[in-house]
Amino acid sequence: MGEDLWKRAFPGPERGVPLLVLLGLLFLPLLARSSDYVLSIFTHALILATLALAWNILGASGSISLGHAAFFGVGAYGSALLSADFAISPWLTIPLGGLVAAALAAVMGLICRRLRGAYFALATLAFVEIPKVITDNWDGLTRGSLGLVGLPGLPAFHLGPWHVNIARSMSASYYLVLVYTLVVVFLVALVWESNLGLALHAVREEETAARAAGVHMDRYRLFSLLLSAFVTGVSGAVYVHLTRYTAPGLAYSLHFSAVPVIFALCGGRFTVLGPALAALLLYPVDQFIFNPLLPAGHEFLYGLVLVLAVLFLPGGFWGALRRSP
Amino acid sequence: MTLLRLEGLGKQFGEIWALRDLHFTVAEGEIVGLVGPNGAGKTTLFNLISGRLKPTTGRILFGDQEITGGEPHKVCHLGIGRTFQSSRPFARLTTLKNVLVGRVFGKTFRFRARREDLEAAREILDVVGLLHKADTPAGSLTPSEQRRLDLARALATRPRLLLLDEVAAGFSPVAVKQAVGLVRRVQERGVTLFIIDHFLNLSLRVSDRLLALDHGEKAAEGAPPEVMRNREVIRAYLGLRHEGDH
Repeated sequence: MGEDLWKRAFPGPERGVPLLVLLGLLFLPLLARSSDYVLSIFTHALILATLALAWNILGASGSISLGHAAFFGVGAYGSALLSADFAISPWLTIPLGGLVAAALAAVMGLICRRLRGAYFALATLAFVEIPKVITDNWDGLTRGSLGLVGLPGLPAFHLGPWHVNIARSMSASYYLVLVYTLVVVFLVALVWESNLGLALHAVREEETAARAAGVHMDRYRLFSLLLSAFVTGVSGAVYVHLTRYTAPGLAYSLHFSAVPVIFALCGGRFTVLGPALAALLLYPVDQFIFNPLLPAGHEFLYGLVLVLAVLFLPGGFWGALRRSP
Repeated sequence: MTLLRLEGLGKQFGEIWALRDLHFTVAEGEIVGLVGPNGAGKTTLFNLISGRLKPTTGRILFGDQEITGGEPHKVCHLGIGRTFQSSRPFARLTTLKNVLVGRVFGKTFRFRARREDLEAAREILDVVGLLHKADTPAGSLTPSEQRRLDLARALATRPRLLLLDEVAAGFSPVAVKQAVGLVRRVQERGVTLFIIDHFLNLSLRVSDRLLALDHGEKAAEGAPPEVMRNREVIRAYLGLRHEGDH
């Protein structure tokens, strides 16, 4: 069945690309020149890849969210506060952070149930301000705008004969995030190829026809929003325990709302892997090439690539290599 | 046995009654044609039955259940399928997946499509003559193929009553003949049909009865030849010229 899924997901000769990318990622820390700096860039790129993948679970239903930083932020804060104030292991608080994000998404989903297209997108953009303002001002709970420092890192553990200390080793952090990314890829592929994904694609393509064919649209749209928010929240939680500090301006930064959209649109929002591949290509290019050249305005790269993709490759570059979903 | 009963059904848009106080029944196994000029309220009636619009007045009964104002997916689950005046394919999905949506969601939901669902979807594509296009994205089918795909997707939901909105509009005489055969095959599967047919090219050949609407009200109902001789119907389609008072 697994092989079947692989062949259905990749019918053409482009089948080799994800395997090559995966091999490159697996051996990256072993390459002679991979400094901690290089690894930290790729760790961040993988986190962004999970955000783009998660964003596209909702994207599959045709909804464009411009506010996923809300879920990233509450996931990060939820996990950070639970682990710091209640001394719960981050391994446990990370999924709890995802649940906090999903709870917030449930509120948002019920409020925005009737909104579509640009109206939904604008509502999500505004919605980020709600958790951000609360976090910024509820000093007793969140320490307000001072942010949180010295947060618990991920505890060391034994994996067979190896002692893995994520807080001390950049390559251990990197591999942890890589494994997490693969889990997210698998999850998205499973949703995409299941009947659940079929419902989301149908609603995206033709809402009226989907409902007339028996698709309970509100249920599937809400489910995709909850799942998308959950994964985004988990990513925020993983991120906060790696960096071990956060602040409202960082956790709810526009960056985490905008970047998943850009990666999904550039990579291919009608594909499973397009958003992740775009993250792994564009973020390192931005950091290694454009950031040193233009420290102040290097993110113009994203705007430029986005405009080019929308104008010339509406299905994204990975979408252009692929056949229909 | 009565399958569909409309009791005093009406729909008002602002000041205008698109449909007013309509009483009508469709019996199980029948083919009923719904005719009338533009703006007569034909598509409004279908939208009311399928739950896309909520009626202003009246009730809709399907079998022994009241479905007035029910949500579209629930109406579908109860056994009413429909097609659209301008076809609405899931353009980026393959033709097969379009039909699979109807098969998988038309009655009960399962997380993964089973082999039998795929086989059922293929069988229905074969009925409408699109099996050779199973792996083509629906968006690149021709308009007449997309109409047949609409029909296939509705059939896949396993309806007892099928509402066909202008399936044969714009078809060549040969294609209309094929559509007649298709409608007959659908009827043989035990499906009751309610067919909107503005240009009368399909319904006159297949219908057991006709319902004629004009300006949202019933102009006539009965056997096709009778209805077509009806003065009100002729006036609605052709105007009053032959009566000499205009």
